[in-house]
Amino acid sequence: MTTEGVEFAGHELARASLDACVKCTICETACPVSAVTPLFSGPKFVGPQAERFRNGESVDHSLDYCSSCGACTLACPQGVQIAELNSQARAVMKADHMPLRDQLITRTTLMGMMMTPVAPIANAALRNLPIRTIVEKVIGIHRDAPMPPAQTQTLQGWLKKRKVPMKAPTRGPVVFFHGCAGGYFEVETSRKSIEVLEYLGYEVIVPKQGCCGLAQQSNGLFDQASAAVLKLCDELRGAGKDLTIISSSGSCTGMLKHEAHEIMGVSDDKLKDVGTRIRDMMEFLLDLHDAGELPTDFARIDMTVPYHAPCQLKSQGMGQPAVEVLKLIPGLTVVESGAACCGIAGTYGLKKEKYEVAQAVGKPLFDMVKRTNPDLALCDTETCRWQIEQSSGVKTEHPIWMVHRAYGLS
Amino acid sequence: MRKLAVDVVVIGGGSTGAGVVRDVAMRGYSAVLVDRADLGQGTTGRFHGLMHSGGRYVVSDPLSATECAQENAILSRIQSSAIEMTGGYFVTCPGDDPAFADKFLTGAAATGVPAREIPVAEALRNEPRLNPGILRAIEVGDGSVDGWQLVWGAANSAKVHGAQVLTYHSVTRIDREGNRVSAVHCTDLKSGTDVVIECNFVLNCAGPWAGQIAHMAGADPVDVIPGRGIMIAMNHRLVNRVVNRCIYPADGDILVPVHTVSIIGTTDVKVDDPDNLAIERDEVQQMLDAGEVLIPGFRNARALHAWAGARPLIKDKRVSAADTRHMSRGMAVIDHTERDGLDGMLTIGGGKLTTYRLMAEHIVDAMCDKLGEKRECRTAQENIPGPEPTKNYVVTHRLEEREHDRLDEQIICECELMSRRMFTEALAVQPKGTLDDLRRQLRLGMGPCQGGFCTTRATGIALESDHIDIERANGLLRLFLKNRWIGLWPILYGDQVRQTALDNWIFQGTLDIEHLPQQMSEVAL
Amino acid sequence: MSRVVVIGVGLAGLTAANRLAAGGVDVTLLSKGIGGLQLGQGTIDVLGYTPDRVTNPVLTLAAIASSRPEHPYAVIGAAGVHTGIEYLKGLLGAKLLVGDVETNYQLPTAVGAIRPTCLASPSMVAGHVRDGAKFAIVGLRRLKDFHPKLVAENLARSALPDGAQPTRSKRSLFGDPIAEAFAKQTPGHLEVRHLSVDVPARENEIDSSGLTYARAFDDPAFRARFAETLRPLLADGETVGLPAVLGLNDLTAWSDVAEKLGHPVFEIPLPPPSVPGMRLNAALTAKAKAAGVRMVPGSWTVGFRAGNGGILGLSVAAAGAQREFTADTFLLATGGFESGALNLDSHGLVTETVFGLPLAGLDAEPLIHGDYWGAEQPLFRVGVRVGRDMRVLDGAGAVVHDNLYAAGGIIGGSSRWAEKSGDGIALGSAVLAADSILKELS
Repeated sequence: MTTEGVEFAGHELARASLDACVKCTICETACPVSAVTPLFSGPKFVGPQAERFRNGESVDHSLDYCSSCGACTLACPQGVQIAELNSQARAVMKADHMPLRDQLITRTTLMGMMMTPVAPIANAALRNLPIRTIVEKVIGIHRDAPMPPAQTQTLQGWLKKRKVPMKAPTRGPVVFFHGCAGGYFEVETSRKSIEVLEYLGYEVIVPKQGCCGLAQQSNGLFDQASAAVLKLCDELRGAGKDLTIISSSGSCTGMLKHEAHEIMGVSDDKLKDVGTRIRDMMEFLLDLHDAGELPTDFARIDMTVPYHAPCQLKSQGMGQPAVEVLKLIPGLTVVESGAACCGIAGTYGLKKEKYEVAQAVGKPLFDMVKRTNPDLALCDTETCRWQIEQSSGVKTEHPIWMVHRAYGLS
Repeated sequence: MRKLAVDVVVIGGGSTGAGVVRDVAMRGYSAVLVDRADLGQGTTGRFHGLMHSGGRYVVSDPLSATECAQENAILSRIQSSAIEMTGGYFVTCPGDDPAFADKFLTGAAATGVPAREIPVAEALRNEPRLNPGILRAIEVGDGSVDGWQLVWGAANSAKVHGAQVLTYHSVTRIDREGNRVSAVHCTDLKSGTDVVIECNFVLNCAGPWAGQIAHMAGADPVDVIPGRGIMIAMNHRLVNRVVNRCIYPADGDILVPVHTVSIIGTTDVKVDDPDNLAIERDEVQQMLDAGEVLIPGFRNARALHAWAGARPLIKDKRVSAADTRHMSRGMAVIDHTERDGLDGMLTIGGGKLTTYRLMAEHIVDAMCDKLGEKRECRTAQENIPGPEPTKNYVVTHRLEEREHDRLDEQIICECELMSRRMFTEALAVQPKGTLDDLRRQLRLGMGPCQGGFCTTRATGIALESDHIDIERANGLLRLFLKNRWIGLWPILYGDQVRQTALDNWIFQGTLDIEHLPQQMSEVAL
Repeated sequence: MSRVVVIGVGLAGLTAANRLAAGGVDVTLLSKGIGGLQLGQGTIDVLGYTPDRVTNPVLTLAAIASSRPEHPYAVIGAAGVHTGIEYLKGLLGAKLLVGDVETNYQLPTAVGAIRPTCLASPSMVAGHVRDGAKFAIVGLRRLKDFHPKLVAENLARSALPDGAQPTRSKRSLFGDPIAEAFAKQTPGHLEVRHLSVDVPARENEIDSSGLTYARAFDDPAFRARFAETLRPLLADGETVGLPAVLGLNDLTAWSDVAEKLGHPVFEIPLPPPSVPGMRLNAALTAKAKAAGVRMVPGSWTVGFRAGNGGILGLSVAAAGAQREFTADTFLLATGGFESGALNLDSHGLVTETVFGLPLAGLDAEPLIHGDYWGAEQPLFRVGVRVGRDMRVLDGAGAVVHDNLYAAGGIIGGSSRWAEKSGDGIALGSAVLAADSILKELS
């Protein structure tokens, strides 16, 4: 890891934003990590405060306790890109000694490709304590950390085999971006998203697509991540010019919308093009509703369900569209978690030295979920769903499942 | 009344006085330094922090250039912890004469100032905020220096060699016996005690106030014309190297990274009174325009604080060239024996911080000549005591220190990462100091919030230390905020207005600081 | 359903959003962050100084309303403030706020000044100064924002606010524990001492913020530990002054501490992060969400579309594409310079940053002066002008946009912090604006 990414990390956007900091401490009140451990000195400290003391060098290693959840940036009323500063400083710090673990866990597509054909074995292995203990010792992934459930069929596999929808599209084409998880692990969420879009009358184009590089970015591997995101942009743009791109992978959407630019300084026009066209699945539905174009002939679902808005969704500055959409379903009571973060923050909660912190971060959420409905919870991003499910024992779905159900599609 | 007797009284606690008292003490004389305020509270503490490579003078003043280059090398060795070796660029901005760079390179070669032209692209890569339209770039060995640390370092070194340093001692009278200076009378401003210091020699290093001191000794008036310059500290390091415009010296031609900030300077306006230095609005605008030439978008960057300093320029027509030793332009020693028939006193004026040690060497040489003694100057050979004597300052220092002691030490000034221990230790040394005295050594309140969060903490800790009572504690708090405001309101725009609004919200809104019990009198020092 | 966009999530924005949603309109609350209430002292000011100390805020503000036409209270009026205060009290309940508009509490601050305020948390009011009271001001060694000696020694040498204190007969209606003592109040002095205890909020941490302590005080076991340490150090008859960190989510933490100590306690607000402010913010935000307000934090406004005499839409720079929020009515509750609602650029130009509205108060010369302890800086009185219905007016008194209202700190004409009037202005203007909007839309 060298050069461009790290050089960028020393200055530009985020660094300039530190001028806006008035030390008001609001970010500190929002940080879920410093709330549970003094080992992390908090977002104000490692962000705008420490940055004034950095000169292309990150001597404050405790900044690695930042989970990059972005709660600080969202809470900051002055516009300081606190989490972005931290991500950049971390990339600088890790530039010359990137742990093997941090390289491995960022290879999400590769993991999916390798695990799908051997899904039962992979799942068994992931549940096997001796194996996980060895993995923890050798690689540094905590033995109890959530791992994605391998599926026997990829999304592309399903698309190839499924019956083509009978109904002719009435609303024109959209592009679907499923992300690595949506392609390999959360196939069901992708499938339901596509079916809802088709039900609404859209023609759904699903181009062949790679990884957005988010996991690499959050681990400071800026060069690989930049290359990945640009390749993905090419793939999505290839599916059609000016088409709306829709994704049910909330965090990958965030990467395309703003993180690749704001954290890594990728300023390519194709990223800008994709970034302005992409919509989160629930955001897209809410936009339709605001425009009076969303059919609300939902079937009644009598249920109270906890909903957790993931950090990376909140940081997109669109509120909580899932809450607004789910409100339209008769009988359904959605209880917002009010929790800042589930703790996983992408890959943070997998790491053996961060696992305890991540669990403490997520504890109020896990308790709330169990209290509200022991059978079902809703959350928009994959890793957060795995974390909630693993730590609370409550099955956790993407909100689109509920919409799918309410439209009578399942 | 307190009585002291020494060989030499040094008047003035700026860089010159501190350098001189160190030199005098190292040559074996007993010495006292007196200043009416704290060390480095005058011109030394009010400049932009540049440690010259000599580059600035290679065309206009070759002798100064050579001296700077030599002294830069010496100081960064003997006072390493006060000096950051940032390196520097001379850049030709759009509209500047590109041919000046040729004169510059020729001058540098002739004066022994290390300089090398580098590709513009390299300069822009290393300093990405620089004006992308620059035409040429020359790399030099500029650095930045903490003036207060420099002065305190020299003063502490002098103390090690037996000298005394009396701050807040205002000179009230200078006695003579016949034609010879015999004693200096002071008042200890903190206690009100009078102090008489009998001496053989007085070295007048009072800078812009040197004329007033010379007058007390009965010398004919020395004409000091203070030249006011303003500086503005920007919130963070817009550049990590000193950036100079590659032109003849002009206003606003330099941006210096010092500690966590970068400082743009400066102007030059003749004023009458060095104690009354306004920061004029048009000069602030002039600096911002100049900054915009070096760094596009400069006006949108955050300005933290402004200040004005007075250059101690001596323009004395009454003395012939033979009476004044021109050691270099801008530095002058006035021999009062020939000028005024007054023995036992020398007055020094002009000069610059980078050559403070050399100036001291010259003036003490001159004194030794007068006393008919030969004593060797050793100030260039001996290191000045400091936190890490062999390591130059780097901006990451405090961040690294706090990384190690954060869980064991509270951080009182968060902007400048000053720990509680740093504060209480400095307070123990200067228990009667004001918060500004401590600020100059610790950078308390010098960051973005300008005291918004740390002032009450510092006041509370000072009170708990039992060095002061509640009346003085409130007085210190009021004085500190008042003094911070002097440098704030002239540059109050943009982000700093938001900060000031929040600070007002805290002080007035939450703490109701305006309704503390009535002070019996305001604290002034 | 009619749609209203409220911009700003401070006291004014949250109050208006709650009232609007309760009035049956669809409210979207756009904000940059999560609210400024947690930067303040966490009490509700109406009027504290004129510059003389105020004891009956509502009475005094009526006088201001008639004598200072540029002051926001001139248009809000005593009735507006009264409505706002009662609305907030009704919304939040007596677990969060006690008091009434006719009497100011006089409460110690974290430097030991005595500060007037109108409504306060029940956890604070035992600190209301009264002759002969015995206070023990207790610091926490690991909390750097509270220095008990500074507080105690300033309080001890303060002459108590004197003069014609009104009788507090009304106060007993609210079950105020200090009503009786207050009724007897005469000018006098306090007996104050200070002490510190070291009860770590967390293991291995020496620099704990007020927030960290507040989270610790949410835990009954910590409270017990704290009380055990402190109780033996207290003397009979002492009322205990503590930094305002007695619980973040548990609103009974303070009374539990008092019970465990066997002494009355009172909280003294700290500089940010202000725990009492966070409590108010959390409660008002939860109420708004429960009322159906759609909250969109991270909304940085970048432009607007006007037409037909009004505002049609407001663009925000969300991640990715800009997003336009359209509505029937817009309410500007963005604050002042502290929140970036107003900006002063390096050339000296002052602007309102969302709609570029005309501003009042710019004619003061100079806007900023060099005497820190002198007169109020005129710059901080700059703001928009509003009519009695809280619609924004231009210099000539004409409505700028038919559907644009303002509330809170963005309204110019007051020195909010010095006067201690910001919350009264926010509440009064918020309820008046909400009521005007509801009337207009119905």
